[in-house]
Amino acid sequence: MNRSDREPSGGSPGSLPGRKLADRRVRVKRPHAPYFRYTGPGQMVATKAASAPTTPGGRLVARLKATAIGRPLANEQEILERLPKVKALPIFSSDAISSSAYATDEILKVLILAGAAALTWSIGVALAIALMLTIVAFSYRQVCRAYPSGGGAYVVARENLGPRFGLVAAAALMVDYVMTVAVSTASAIANLATAFPVIGDVRIELGALTVILVTAANLRGLRESGNIFALPTYLFVGTALLAVGVGLVDVFTGQAHHLAQPPYAIPPESQTLTIFLLLRAFAGGSVALTGVEAIANGVPAFKPPEARNAANTLIIMAVILGTLFIGLTFVGAQYGVRATLDQGPTVLGQVGGAVFGNGILFVTLQVSAALILFLACNTSFNAFPRLAAILARDGYMPRQFAFRGDRLAFSWGIVVLAAVAVAMLVAFGADTHALIPLYSVGVFICFTLSQTGMVLHWRKERGPGWLWRSAVNGFGAVLTAVVFLIVASEKFREGAWMVLVFIPVLFAMMWFVGRQYTAATRQLELRPGQVVPHPHREERVVIPVSAVNRAVGQAINVARTISDDIRCVFISDDPEETERFRDEWQEHVPDVPLVVVESPYRALVAPLLAYLEVLDRGWPDDREKPVTFVVIPEYVARSWWERILYNQSSRRLRTALLGRPHTVVVNVPYRRDEPGIFESIAGGGRGGGS
Amino acid sequence: MPELLKPTFRRAVVAVNGSPTDERVVRLVSELARPAKAEVVAVHVVEIDWTMPLDADIAERSEEAQRVLDTAEAVAEQHNYRLEGVLLQARDVGAALVDEAAERQADVLVLGLPYRTRFGGEFAIGRAIPYCFKNAPCTVWVVRDAIPEEPR
Repeated sequence: MNRSDREPSGGSPGSLPGRKLADRRVRVKRPHAPYFRYTGPGQMVATKAASAPTTPGGRLVARLKATAIGRPLANEQEILERLPKVKALPIFSSDAISSSAYATDEILKVLILAGAAALTWSIGVALAIALMLTIVAFSYRQVCRAYPSGGGAYVVARENLGPRFGLVAAAALMVDYVMTVAVSTASAIANLATAFPVIGDVRIELGALTVILVTAANLRGLRESGNIFALPTYLFVGTALLAVGVGLVDVFTGQAHHLAQPPYAIPPESQTLTIFLLLRAFAGGSVALTGVEAIANGVPAFKPPEARNAANTLIIMAVILGTLFIGLTFVGAQYGVRATLDQGPTVLGQVGGAVFGNGILFVTLQVSAALILFLACNTSFNAFPRLAAILARDGYMPRQFAFRGDRLAFSWGIVVLAAVAVAMLVAFGADTHALIPLYSVGVFICFTLSQTGMVLHWRKERGPGWLWRSAVNGFGAVLTAVVFLIVASEKFREGAWMVLVFIPVLFAMMWFVGRQYTAATRQLELRPGQVVPHPHREERVVIPVSAVNRAVGQAINVARTISDDIRCVFISDDPEETERFRDEWQEHVPDVPLVVVESPYRALVAPLLAYLEVLDRGWPDDREKPVTFVVIPEYVARSWWERILYNQSSRRLRTALLGRPHTVVVNVPYRRDEPGIFESIAGGGRGGGS
Repeated sequence: MPELLKPTFRRAVVAVNGSPTDERVVRLVSELARPAKAEVVAVHVVEIDWTMPLDADIAERSEEAQRVLDTAEAVAEQHNYRLEGVLLQARDVGAALVDEAAERQADVLVLGLPYRTRFGGEFAIGRAIPYCFKNAPCTVWVVRDAIPEEPR
């Protein structure tokens, strides 16, 4: 700031007098104050005003954005956006907990192939799945503590098995998250369509709209989306636990009797109950585990102490999920519930009807189940962007994925997930049957890799109890690997092959991005101790001109500050015009050499590039090539339509010069509303600084 | 503080000088100003000795001087309040504060007075506070606040 910025001082007429004669003071202006705050020597923080858009269009977009997703939050508010356990549970667990609403059905659908008597095996299968859930949850609890920066299976595999396995886990997880959004949305729409058949005609549009709404809720930030999604999750957990509790009381008081066969019950078949059939039932029921890993991905989203809170939330989720799953399976078995075709009631619906009758509790249970299935996709909207951000920070995804949006959410990840999920919905016609074979395949790959990674982690750490911890994780790895093989082979022909193609493709893309970033970093890095030297190269300036006007005058003056070696190049396809131009040039800028290039083929950019090439070739071989500054005069457009009318050639030229060796492109804008600048630098009569 | 005992003012001038007391003073005044939507002006005075002209390019170039007010503004914002920061150059801090308060017709002039807990509440009252007590045309509050002791 110069003196003119402050009030006059001393006894001058404009000074600020005090109450006593000598008490004068000077008020110092603080031009930085609205935009920056000093926080340390040479360090400033930009305020909200500094980040605000300056154009009317930008301000309008910002206002619309603020209306849709809320006002921008500052980084320091991130801690306020962190989730307490009570909000984190619904956000990260809606996927896992919602699977208790249909996991038992998946077991019964397989067991019925061996006849109605085989259904009693459902409890044993459910217990085995619960054991696997315990192992997986235990493993991820350790992951939360060992890797508090989040990332779950990806980080565990990367750290213990190497980056390639890490990327396999990440690719598998990402595919599964996309599928979770597509499948849960499609199935929720299908459920609604059974009640309101008219919806069936617009299910793709409705599915896309649902995804957009969940996207908007997530773009509003963690805390707000937590508020939105908490109620349905807790409502479902409450009513389902009540159903299990009442059912258990009925069972132990002898009031539970086998129900009549529900409509659309799958008829029993007469296959032999083999270990393979039991394994298939086990694999079918293992969908209950999808979403269990989400908390380990999002540890940094928790309030401090992050790792402990995440680990405890994971256990709470596992306990709720396990209780609901075993409880519903056990009570269902006592009531003799049956798996049905899609049109028939679910196991949850049959148990609810048996214990609650047809009253308000039954309706609440069904509505909350529909809602939680609807919102199961929200877990993906929290886990996917976090995983993508970690991958971006590691250099395996474009860096934009690591940037936080206005509301501190990882907006890129959220939007990309929504876009891909909507594309899947459109591609598969929002048909649950077409989408479901692609679901819950990838997650077992990442379970297996994370368990295997944890085995190596324990072996490396050799802390107390490492041997039994390794054994548990090793057992879990084998179990989840078996489930993966069964699930993949079962669903392969129905569409799982696509997942097994997507995963390597995604892996290859991330590997490619990683290699690009690594190569670029290596090329750009300064060696330790290396000091950037002063330049010894010569500089010259080339100014392409199309007229003799103020914009060109300003460009010439900027060029004069760069080098004395300046030449202007006029490319013309009209000899008469050239003569006129030369005369005009001599009149206004006689001291700057003008090179006229006649272009009989009317090309503009190519002759200029050729001229630059000729200049380079003419440079003595024994001297280092000079830096050529191409100074391009530009007229600053004041409205959108002026942008169409002006600067088209400059844009083409700029694009053509991009990446040319030893060349720097300088744009010199000329603003029509600042004529004073030209007047002064062009030696006009007004004077003054530029 | 009971509602009835809460002091009310329309305009307060708060003196800040970069001491640890600033945060407490700004927080206190912001909290008190918010319900009444009163105006708060934080003033930092850079004393210019007689060897230099009063409008010497000192305060504007001093990041430290700017930071004192920036910190005050940030503290107020943390308490959902927006204050105006004023940077002055003057020969005497007390006189500049009193003059600024008078010009702005402030109801209250607030100053911080840090003290050390370790040595029986030792403090240095300096010249500005007594000057304000004697000359301010409004109420003067002095907030005596403990300096966080450094670990022994």
